[in-house]
Order: sequence, then C-alpha cells, then structure tokens
Amino acid sequence: MSSAVGDARIRLPDRIARGDAVIVNSIISHPMDTGFFRTAEGQPIPAWFIKNVVVTYGGQEIARFEWTSGISRDPVVSFMLKADKEAPLTMVWTDNKGSTFTKSVDVTFASA
Amino acid sequence: LEVTVPFGQPFNRRDFVRAASLVAVGLAGASGVSASERLLAVTAVTGLRDPEVPNEEIARILKELFGSRPIRSGDKSKMALDMPAVAEDGRVVPVIIESNLPMTPENYVKAVHLIVDHNPDPHLAAFHLTPALGTVSIQTRIKMKRTTWVRAILETSTGEVWADYARVNVTLNGCG
Repeated sequence: MSSAVGDARIRLPDRIARGDAVIVNSIISHPMDTGFFRTAEGQPIPAWFIKNVVVTYGGQEIARFEWTSGISRDPVVSFMLKADKEAPLTMVWTDNKGSTFTKSVDVTFASA
Repeated sequence: LEVTVPFGQPFNRRDFVRAASLVAVGLAGASGVSASERLLAVTAVTGLRDPEVPNEEIARILKELFGSRPIRSGDKSKMALDMPAVAEDGRVVPVIIESNLPMTPENYVKAVHLIVDHNPDPHLAAFHLTPALGTVSIQTRIKMKRTTWVRAILETSTGEVWADYARVNVTLNGCG
C-alpha cells in the first residue's frame, strides 16, 4: 500500500434505511511492526502498532478495540452497526507512539 | 465423515477418533453400552472439542479474563470463529467472529477476546462492544507464528462466557 501511515477509509453501504443493520468496513495504513524483525542491515525495527481503536456514533462510544502488533499490517476491521440515527460515525486509531488518526463518515438515510 | 452426537454438533473425523478412543477406554473398564454412552455424555458436557490449555501463560490469560467462570463451547449460534484450516502466509490470516446472542441493554455481548496460543503475544485483541452495534459480526486479519489453536471467547453483560476454537495450520511464520 502506497498511502501514508494513518491514511484511513471507512466504507458504508450506499443506501441505508433507518434501522438497518449495516456492515462497516475500515482500513488504516500502518506498518504494525512487532519489534521482532531487523532491517537488512541488522538494525532492529522497533515495535510500532495501533493499540487502540475507538468507534463513536453521534458522539457516543459504541465500540473500543484493544489491539497488539498481532493484527496484520494495514489493519482492517469490519463490524455491524444498527443505523438508527443520521449522525457521524467516527473511528480514532491510536498507536503505541501516541499518534492518533481520525476518520469520520456520515450515516445518512436514503429517501425512499 | 459426519456423525451426530447427543449435543447436536457435527462431529469431524478428528473428534470422532478422540471420542472413539474415550469410549474404548470406558468399555474396557465397564461392560455394556450404557457405560460408554454415559462417558460420551460426560465428555460432551466438559467440552470434548476444546483444545487443552498449552502452558501457564494461556492459563493466566484465561484466569485474568474470566476468573472461575465456566467457558462454554460447542454452540455456534452463541459463538462462531471462522478461520482457514491452512494459512499459507502467517502474516495475513483472516478471522471472522460471529454470535447470535442478543445485543440489548439488558443483555449484550460486551467483549470478544482473541487468543492465539503459540503467538509471542497470545492475547492478540479485545473487542469491546455495546448494544448500539445491534449484531456481533467482526472481521479482521491477524498474524500467526506457527500452527496452533486460536480461541475466540466472548463475555456477556450478564456474565456468560462462550468460546469457539479453530486449529490453523501455518505454513509461513508471520511474526518473525
């Protein structure tokens, strides 16, 4: 993946009706280094990984994930959401160096 | 080969061999079919399909997370862990976790823990959930060092603990 560390995407279904159970797909660009590897020159590569993901919907925390470097590079996570209001869905990824990366999408209902 | 056992789960060949050997032991010690049926019933209750706890680290993780609460398994509607039987690249192994348990304010799945027995950091992830999600269905991708059992264990807001297990054969070490 050629994107910069922290570039993130959240994908929702194109059309959502109030009350739908929708799948939320997310991905963030991050090396997720374990700290166990070395460079070709023999230098250790320090651990650098997303350790915490907070998901809010309309400002309310609805999920929180605690991760280790055992999650694969460029972490993906999908989960279900009960779309019961038109509001922003926000994910904040925090890595072990203290950097935070934020992405937000709006849950909006298709007019029938 | 699929055999239906009293608790209603499909049996694979591996479990069948284990069950058959246990039944054989029962037959050696007692006479008649009733003894073997009794033994089979007991092993079903205690989790015939559950992997053994391989070492003290896993035992400590399970104890810290769930204390003395029983970790129940064998009901895919309560907890289902879906992983490939063979992972050619241990750096990227897909994981699907699903549960049909309710997600209401009175009773919901509040956390799902993912434990990979022989990884350097076995307690790989914890997913803390709320009723706002509506449904438990989580997908991600993990690293695996070598062939081992993976444990997905959930706890509900009322204190129930349900697990499902997957044995994954890893061809390429994904952890270094």
